[in-house]
Amino acid sequence: MDTRQRIIEATYACVARSGLAKTTVEDAAREAHLSRATVYRYFPGGRDELIHDVVTWELMRFFGRLYQAVQGAESLEAVMERGIRFAHRSIRQHAVLQRVMQNEPELLLPTLTLESNRVRQGIADFLLPYLHQHGMADGVDPVGAADFLARMVLSYMSAPGRWDLDDPDEVRELVRSELLAGVVVGPEPRAGDTASRP
Amino acid sequence: MPVEGATLRVVDSGEPVDRPEFEHLRGVAAPSSPHRVRIVDATLDCLAAHGLAKTTVDDIARQAGLSRATVYRVFSGGKDEILGAVVDTELARLFSALGARMGAADDLADVLAIGICEAVTRIERHPALRYLVAHEPATVLGHLAFDDSNRLLATATRFLSPFLVRWMDPDEAGRVAEWATRIVLSYTISPSSDMDLTDLHRSRHLVETFVLPGIRALREPDRSMPVDIGPFVEERRAADPAPGGTALRFLAPTNPTNPTNQHEGEMA
Repeated sequence: MDTRQRIIEATYACVARSGLAKTTVEDAAREAHLSRATVYRYFPGGRDELIHDVVTWELMRFFGRLYQAVQGAESLEAVMERGIRFAHRSIRQHAVLQRVMQNEPELLLPTLTLESNRVRQGIADFLLPYLHQHGMADGVDPVGAADFLARMVLSYMSAPGRWDLDDPDEVRELVRSELLAGVVVGPEPRAGDTASRP
Repeated sequence: MPVEGATLRVVDSGEPVDRPEFEHLRGVAAPSSPHRVRIVDATLDCLAAHGLAKTTVDDIARQAGLSRATVYRVFSGGKDEILGAVVDTELARLFSALGARMGAADDLADVLAIGICEAVTRIERHPALRYLVAHEPATVLGHLAFDDSNRLLATATRFLSPFLVRWMDPDEAGRVAEWATRIVLSYTISPSSDMDLTDLHRSRHLVETFVLPGIRALREPDRSMPVDIGPFVEERRAADPAPGGTALRFLAPTNPTNPTNQHEGEMA
């Protein structure tokens, strides 16, 4: 493991223990068994840069796990259903995230919101080939549809609202209606089938 | 900044609140003292000019043309209580304005397009909100995800679904109102250069393309395949049938996660 990675993981351990506000460069250095000077060499921006990078790192790890979770789903519906259920469960079970959101959301959410543009683009790019494979509804632009889907997926992930995302039937209903109904042709596309789109 | 459960005390935006569509607002909009409205409006001016951190109760009193003692008589809780009233008031004004426009719509596509367009426009052009998002983003963004966002969705749904019941049953109206609120939040938090929803035609196009088919799908029997209940990772097929969807890889960590960690969002 390189030194930078070692510092990030040490910082994450500190955040898990004491939260974002209380984690200092000294704590991270001690945890990583490195000197303060070494930490500053890798993170010249000090504490702010460290915290930003550790949030981004964990966010990317989260989407790495999400990516693993949807591998092997063979249809657009399955990808979305699995992705939403996995994301919902992971967020709920993420003790560090939950504690930070409880105690110091103002330190986390600005970074998450800024990063959400990149994340949204990643999700949209990921979904695009599935949309092409599935077949688009008449007159729907695949790129615009992928962006819309990514926005909605992020919305349900961060706030389920009235949906019970632990219930596979509800997730399927959500994907079928609010997510895919206007985007793709019917669930079992047949040649010349336009009936599913009034 | 409390949202859910907060009483919406002030509705003085000059909207026609005697219309039947506003029945649900009237119950919570108790008569408010003129001082209260003055203080709330003065606070909005201060926020739009200097932001949240620099605004003091003295600033608010000066801007309102009232004494500090009068401000504290109305809001004994000081700045925090004033800010709570500001949020409640602005939400009530927003919903009241939305109601006035949506109540005049002719069909379902219209009511949704008008509601989305009006909401995005009012939020994007709100002077205090603009200042805060630009200079103190944490004060706003901190309330737009997770629990606070769920409360906001519930509040918006409660106020907006009555305008949809002309076209659908109440349960469906609640779903659609929440959905429309998600759309508004997403496009105001992260505006899209090619989807400017302050343009009514754009809003209408979005509604017709994505929202109306979704509403129709809710009413149709489910014709899709059985629900995918397979375990998440173990089920990976020998021949990966994914159609080249690898874009998320750039989001994956450079050194792969320990596979035993893949199931949980938690490492500590």
